[in-house]
Amino acid sequence: MKRVLKFVVWLAVALLGAGALGAIAIHRGEPLNAMWFVVAALCCYLVAFRLYSAFVAAKVLALDDTRATPAERHDDGRDFVPTNKWVLFGHHFAAIAGPGPLVGPTLAAQFGYLPGTLWLIVGAAFGGCVQDFVILFCSIRRDGKSLGQMAREEVSKRGGFIAQLAVLAIIIILLGVIALVVVNALKASPWATFTISMTLPIALLLGVYLRFLRPGRVVEASVIGLAFVLFVVVAGRWVAESPSWAHVFTLGGVSLAIAIIIYGYIASVLPVWLLLAPRDYLIAFIKAGAIFSLAAGILFVRPDVLMPPLTRFVDGTGPVFAGKIFPFCFITIACGAISGFHSLISSGTTPKMILRESQARFIGYGAMLLESFVGVMAMVAACAMTPGVYFAINSPAGIVGSTPDAVAAMTTSWGYPLAGQTMVDMAHAVGEQTLLNRTGGAPSLAVGMAQIFSSTIGGGRLLGIWYHFAIMFEALFVLTVLDAGTRVGRFMIHEMGGRLWKPLARTNWLPAVLLCSAVIVGSWGYFLYQGVIDPLGGINSLWPLFGIANQLLAAVALVVATTILMKMGRLQWIWVTVVPMVVLIVITLTSSYQKIFSPNPRIGFLSNANDLATQIANGVIPAAKVADTHRLMFNLRLDAVVTSILVLMIVLLIVEALGQWYGILSRRSEAVLHESPYIATRWAPDFSGAGHSAVVGDAVGDD
Amino acid sequence: MRKAAKRTKCFLRRFWHGLREWCGDAAYESYLRSKARRIGSCHTLSQAEFYVDQLNRRYSRPNRCC
Repeated sequence: MKRVLKFVVWLAVALLGAGALGAIAIHRGEPLNAMWFVVAALCCYLVAFRLYSAFVAAKVLALDDTRATPAERHDDGRDFVPTNKWVLFGHHFAAIAGPGPLVGPTLAAQFGYLPGTLWLIVGAAFGGCVQDFVILFCSIRRDGKSLGQMAREEVSKRGGFIAQLAVLAIIIILLGVIALVVVNALKASPWATFTISMTLPIALLLGVYLRFLRPGRVVEASVIGLAFVLFVVVAGRWVAESPSWAHVFTLGGVSLAIAIIIYGYIASVLPVWLLLAPRDYLIAFIKAGAIFSLAAGILFVRPDVLMPPLTRFVDGTGPVFAGKIFPFCFITIACGAISGFHSLISSGTTPKMILRESQARFIGYGAMLLESFVGVMAMVAACAMTPGVYFAINSPAGIVGSTPDAVAAMTTSWGYPLAGQTMVDMAHAVGEQTLLNRTGGAPSLAVGMAQIFSSTIGGGRLLGIWYHFAIMFEALFVLTVLDAGTRVGRFMIHEMGGRLWKPLARTNWLPAVLLCSAVIVGSWGYFLYQGVIDPLGGINSLWPLFGIANQLLAAVALVVATTILMKMGRLQWIWVTVVPMVVLIVITLTSSYQKIFSPNPRIGFLSNANDLATQIANGVIPAAKVADTHRLMFNLRLDAVVTSILVLMIVLLIVEALGQWYGILSRRSEAVLHESPYIATRWAPDFSGAGHSAVVGDAVGDD
Repeated sequence: MRKAAKRTKCFLRRFWHGLREWCGDAAYESYLRSKARRIGSCHTLSQAEFYVDQLNRRYSRPNRCC
């Protein structure tokens, strides 16, 4: 009876999800309510988790709870810490959820709500979640080894080196792009710039508090910091309204870029406890609160989605970024559907803290489903805006113009009616000088979030506060990734540099620290500067580059996972990783080819550079701008070279892996797995981690 | 009523413990427990030393995604 009831319930969930998804897909005409998106996403996630992840866990990976995990075998209270599954889920989710699932769907909304939403749901269920889950499992079976180490051992030494290079490349490009998102969010906004600058002294204060006054008391420090941050969000209005102070905090793109580059360098060089960690603590609660509030706000307000399912820009002529749905929608939304960077987290801290293998399903697969849901929420927030407003905010001046009337005329000519005065009023309502040409996704997402929040609490009066709260949240979120990523990149440069000259490997030797910090900050700083001076806003060329790099890393992770499954003898189930791997390889290679060679100057790096060269030769470019144009041409060609290197890396890795696979399948070489030996667990089957802490906790006087 | 209050108290206590573990507040306590389990292991770090050591470890490898 119970089984029948269960079956009926799951059937109902599946039918409800299919119905909602069908409604989203075929609905035309009247605006669709956001609840359809929530229902479709939640039902699909539930079914995917209940059925597909269970299948992967049982048949493909054959998870074994009798096997001791690294957390049990190496429990040292530092790296290897047995952790309750709910706490670890929170850790893992906080680590994988960055600004990507918020910004990517917002940018991809230019195609309409349909392609992005479908990719977020389907891509996560069959790609992203599988990647995170399988890599987590592989790392658990290998004492928590990193993706690079697993690639080296299971694929080849060269494979490991390629994975390491891919990680460094993605870190550099990622940091440059997300820094550009912050620049565009803070540009000409004294309120937002003041708020974000004030988080620096707050973080330093917390750093000193946590280091010397109350070491490690993170909760109380976070609460103090949160109070300060909320105060400076409100105080930002006073600064913006004061002519003299507003002048000080009104910065242009280049000045902001330089400030962020200097910040990145300082954060990389200073002790981690002084700036980097306390800033991370500042955002931890804000991040959880803002994401939860966005979901709750959408459920409460139930806004109509005003963006059509498909816009006219599916043909590749979009103003936000150029390129057709395939492949550009699939690289624009990386995090939220499938993100290679997650494989670094799944083979980082999480496998060292997990209690038993079966929890990898809940943590690896489940956390990625939640991240995908965040992406769907961001898509809803972006699409709940009037399409004309969305395009006015996200389009660069080079395409739509820079005055309210010019922008309104252009978006209206595309079929998305907008009055110039609407943008003036909206900017005034949120306390900004202008909302036009604010590319990068962050400002439009902030407008969407502010509209949802203010419909819940405060109405129009609090729109400005909510907008700047959302901007502060996004910018802090990004800066946390920026400083943490810079430090990790610095350590990778130390490691690589140490192969050339040993002293460079010393991470606590000041000259090496200064030099390696300069190399990593200079690298992403160059991409940032390039984006800032780009007349098309930078996002058009840099976000696809980031998407390609991220998806390439995902392909690397899936190649490693496939090799391991093959060595485990799971040939009949290998399609679980092979299908998303092939899809990603096709996407990255197609988009790379188009970004390098497309004859359309808005898409192809080389054709854009050649187009500029022709314009110089024909005297179209004024003499004063020739030097800048030459710099642009160099940047475009550099982007083409970087894309080619990324492609070369994935092709090399595939060749290496194919050699391995051929050897295994033809039995010419032995399939040697590098798993840690089996050790039976000594923990009881119902062990949840809590008893473990309490029993020993009593011994040290805890509780 | 008393049962509900007890359950709420129990839930809040578990939530508080989980929150402290999640944000790193309870990391030093976990470390001491682990040390106590491993008899004869070397020098025990002070809370301040442990805090800095933890941060240096955490921020030397990818710990935040895009």
